[in-house]
Amino acid sequence: MDRKLNVLLADDSQTVLTQLEGILNGIDDLAVVGLAQNGAAAIRMTNESMPDLVLLDIVMPGLDGLSALRTIRSMHPEIEVAMVTSLGGDSAKAEEAFKLGACQVIAKPFDAESIESLIEMVRSDLETGQALND
Amino acid sequence: MSIQFFGQFLIARGEVDAAHLREALTLMSSRNATLGDLAVAEGLLAPRDVARIHAEQHSRDLHFGDLCVEQGLLTAAQLVELLRMQNERRLPVGEALVELGHLASDRLALLLDVFKADQANYATGQIRLPDGLANHRAAEPTLSLFARFAMRLARIHAKVGAVHAFESAPEFADVSVSIPLTGVQGLDVALVSDAEFAERLALATTGLDESDLDPETVADGVGEFLNVFLGNVVSALSVEGHPMELGTPDYEAELVDGWTVDLAVETGRAALVLSLF
Repeated sequence: MDRKLNVLLADDSQTVLTQLEGILNGIDDLAVVGLAQNGAAAIRMTNESMPDLVLLDIVMPGLDGLSALRTIRSMHPEIEVAMVTSLGGDSAKAEEAFKLGACQVIAKPFDAESIESLIEMVRSDLETGQALND
Repeated sequence: MSIQFFGQFLIARGEVDAAHLREALTLMSSRNATLGDLAVAEGLLAPRDVARIHAEQHSRDLHFGDLCVEQGLLTAAQLVELLRMQNERRLPVGEALVELGHLASDRLALLLDVFKADQANYATGQIRLPDGLANHRAAEPTLSLFARFAMRLARIHAKVGAVHAFESAPEFADVSVSIPLTGVQGLDVALVSDAEFAERLALATTGLDESDLDPETVADGVGEFLNVFLGNVVSALSVEGHPMELGTPDYEAELVDGWTVDLAVETGRAALVLSLF
């Protein structure tokens, strides 16, 4: 990818957003384009900023992460969505997320390495998609 | 690593990608029969019985087969036979990936061993609970996993002590965060602590510097610890076939009744308060 990877984050915990933003800011050619604290805000900010990747928490007040995932993927199938959640080991929730189009479900607590691997995977997927379209 | 399911583990290790896993899940859905489907196919139940039992499961925390036996729709021997058939025909995610050509079978065996060894760290133990909590699905894993997660998430040594009837909020309740687990019978889990323990927990959970901490950040950090810990409890329950839903943290919940669980911690003071709803 020649341009920056734009990432939107959604989690109801401000400290998790700060933590994720800190990890992502340390990765080259990447920009965090927005921070949302619920599913509805994540959808609105996705429509506005059209990121390459959205990282969504599953359990959020109001519209939850799985509902937001469903909406974002149906409106913008080109945008990758990954879930970062404390429910990562709940196979029913994780399977539902994959079926709805999530590219990965990362269980909390996460470390920098798991987020960096995710970014690498998304970059590689986007490059493959771009190459097929060229 | 956390409690996770095999598909996630494979993606995290780069063994398969999400598209492969999605393909495997679709194959499993088409192949793996529910107990109700199997009983109908074997001529033991009518579709309307299956629908009725499913509806009843919304209000009673019992397995499908147990409800069928209780209501005389199946004998215990028929249930055992159906479970044997279901298990024999079940296509696990690893084998689905092998069948689809996304994973080699010898590699699968090796990865399953690694996965099982990791997940064995999260097996729940046995803790004596008072009447009223003893039969609650979530109470036992909540208490048996707490010390492990305090160590793993925050590097804090903690021991779960006596469980006694709630009388009043502990006098050291500088920070109190509560999260509901909803299911057939809900459980509110509150973590109550003094400022010293809460700050230690928040620093370890968020990775922030001490200079970045303010009361709101500390409470949010404690809430996130409780969220991750209880998310893993819900995951453990899901693995055992007892689904519950995790709610969002409440920082102003009033503690009124239930059980107080003493926690012995190396820094500050803390307790859990459990209440049924």
